[in-house]
Amino acid sequence: MKYAYFISCINESMTKELDIAFEKWKTDLGIELVKLEEGTCCGGSNLDYVSPKHCWTINARNIALAEKMDLDLVTSCNTCLLSLRHAKHDLDTKEGLKEQVNELLAKDNLEYTGKAQIKHLLWVLNEDFGLDTLARKIKTPLKDLKIAPFYGCHILRPSHLMGVDDPNAPSSLHQLIETLGAQTVPYASANKCCGFHTLLVAEEESLNIAANALEDGIRSGADYIVTPCPLCHTSLDLYQNKALKSRKNLPKNSIPILHLTQLVGLALGYSKKELGIDKHMIL
Amino acid sequence: MEEQKEISFRIYRYNPHFDKKPYYDNIRITLEKGITVLRALNFIKENIDSKLTFRAFCQAGICGSCGLKINGVSKLACMTQVFKELEDSKEENVILIEPLNNFTIMRDLVVDMDPLVEKLKYYYSWVNPKMPVHELGKKEYLISEEKFQEYDQATDCILCASCVSECLMMEVNPNYISPAVLLKSYRMNVDERDSMQKTRLKKVTSDGGVWDCTHCYKCVEHCVKNIDIMKGIQGLRNSGMKTVSKRSEGAKHAKAFITDIKRKGRLVEFTLITRTLGFIKPIFMLPMMIKMLLRRRVPPPSFMMSEIPRIEKVRKIFRKLKKKNF
Repeated sequence: MKYAYFISCINESMTKELDIAFEKWKTDLGIELVKLEEGTCCGGSNLDYVSPKHCWTINARNIALAEKMDLDLVTSCNTCLLSLRHAKHDLDTKEGLKEQVNELLAKDNLEYTGKAQIKHLLWVLNEDFGLDTLARKIKTPLKDLKIAPFYGCHILRPSHLMGVDDPNAPSSLHQLIETLGAQTVPYASANKCCGFHTLLVAEEESLNIAANALEDGIRSGADYIVTPCPLCHTSLDLYQNKALKSRKNLPKNSIPILHLTQLVGLALGYSKKELGIDKHMIL
Repeated sequence: MEEQKEISFRIYRYNPHFDKKPYYDNIRITLEKGITVLRALNFIKENIDSKLTFRAFCQAGICGSCGLKINGVSKLACMTQVFKELEDSKEENVILIEPLNNFTIMRDLVVDMDPLVEKLKYYYSWVNPKMPVHELGKKEYLISEEKFQEYDQATDCILCASCVSECLMMEVNPNYISPAVLLKSYRMNVDERDSMQKTRLKKVTSDGGVWDCTHCYKCVEHCVKNIDIMKGIQGLRNSGMKTVSKRSEGAKHAKAFITDIKRKGRLVEFTLITRTLGFIKPIFMLPMMIKMLLRRRVPPPSFMMSEIPRIEKVRKIFRKLKKKNF
């Protein structure tokens, strides 16, 4: 199983441990990655309104780089997933757009054809690798752990660009967690927002959005919240103390947040330190 | 004979004048396949409980009155098939009926729409014609087909408020403009007959306005008319950045992405905060930054970040894009 791996800006800076954990176990599952070193930032769900033409072109280029290697493109960030899939959808459906973009890419010997699929790592594990196969690789079943799955918005919505989970009742992350031997807890925030994208411009409101999810997670009795998105992780982990400041009478003061790659790593027998869990703000 | 089923409608009930707190009624009725949730509610009101209160009118997905939460999701009762809804029910043959979120409940399933109406007024959600008053009504005010296409879809909005009910920013800030009003603002702002784009845009881009949208796409997902509300939100941001909102925090934050892709290929997160907020506000973030430093979670400063390989190719594309329009 070989993929082009999209480098998410945040995984190179604030959430390095997501990729550190992934690097640990990818070969155990026979996953080969070619990092898309020449790829640019996806535009972070901002470039599409700053300048749609730039957004289409740079993401067509990102996808074309994977196509040149004849590989599908995998990302472990929800917003990168949305930006890339949004661009792909427009390039594949808007009349004449692909041709205009390819005119620009041709100077760089690149061509966007539309043949590469854009996948989230969660989908690769669930669908390409398969949960049955994953179950056979487990060394340390997480049988004593109670997990609140937090999907994040851009792996679910808009569903016409995603098409894997029901955005009202998603199940892919639940299935993966249960395959690893852990128990998922029911709670209302699984498909809600973490507030990340407005943390700087509307801090108080964004922290309240994060706090709603965190409070739900704590009240559900979960040991951890697990998310497949580094942006959600940042909002829920880095900002957790600030977010929960105004919440009173909680059964416990905090809840640690794990990246999807770390939870898989734990089940495959790696230690918390090896997976960078000690780098989190909430331990 | 059509397929029949006995179905429990678990209905939210609350009369703030008499009830100390809300409760749920379980009403069991036998229905045939093909019945909508609205017809079921009408049946209950006419035959079982005349006090059950809800809004409805056209029964055809046009008036937008019967917006409700059905099995936890905001939608129109008149366009929702009972048997189809049972497929999503958590409990077998039970359908949960609740009022819309993010509104004050007046009684049972009826919510107070006044705050939404006030917002529509506050943000000038109408076309203020450029045509002189003395000419109005005397001749047609034509618009181009091309311009009409820009907002054709947005005119489908029936103000059912499903998007307002689902909006996660509304949950934490009832004063937030709301997706429905953002869509209306966009629709009016791209109408070439309108004369108050700048005034409207100034309000829309101020506090509690378009920059506060978290891009959660809940509104897009739950629009009963399948309107791409995010296109409207992004259209407003784009117009704002070019005109009245150039120096807003939202605009500065967004511009950083295009600047950094050209400079480094990737986002320079180290300075993203100061480039968005300036130098005063981040002072209050210092304790968090120190903790980040201790855990080695601080992003590298610009001078420590290398450019992506062959970045000159990206810059060349950017130069060419300047002259291109698509």
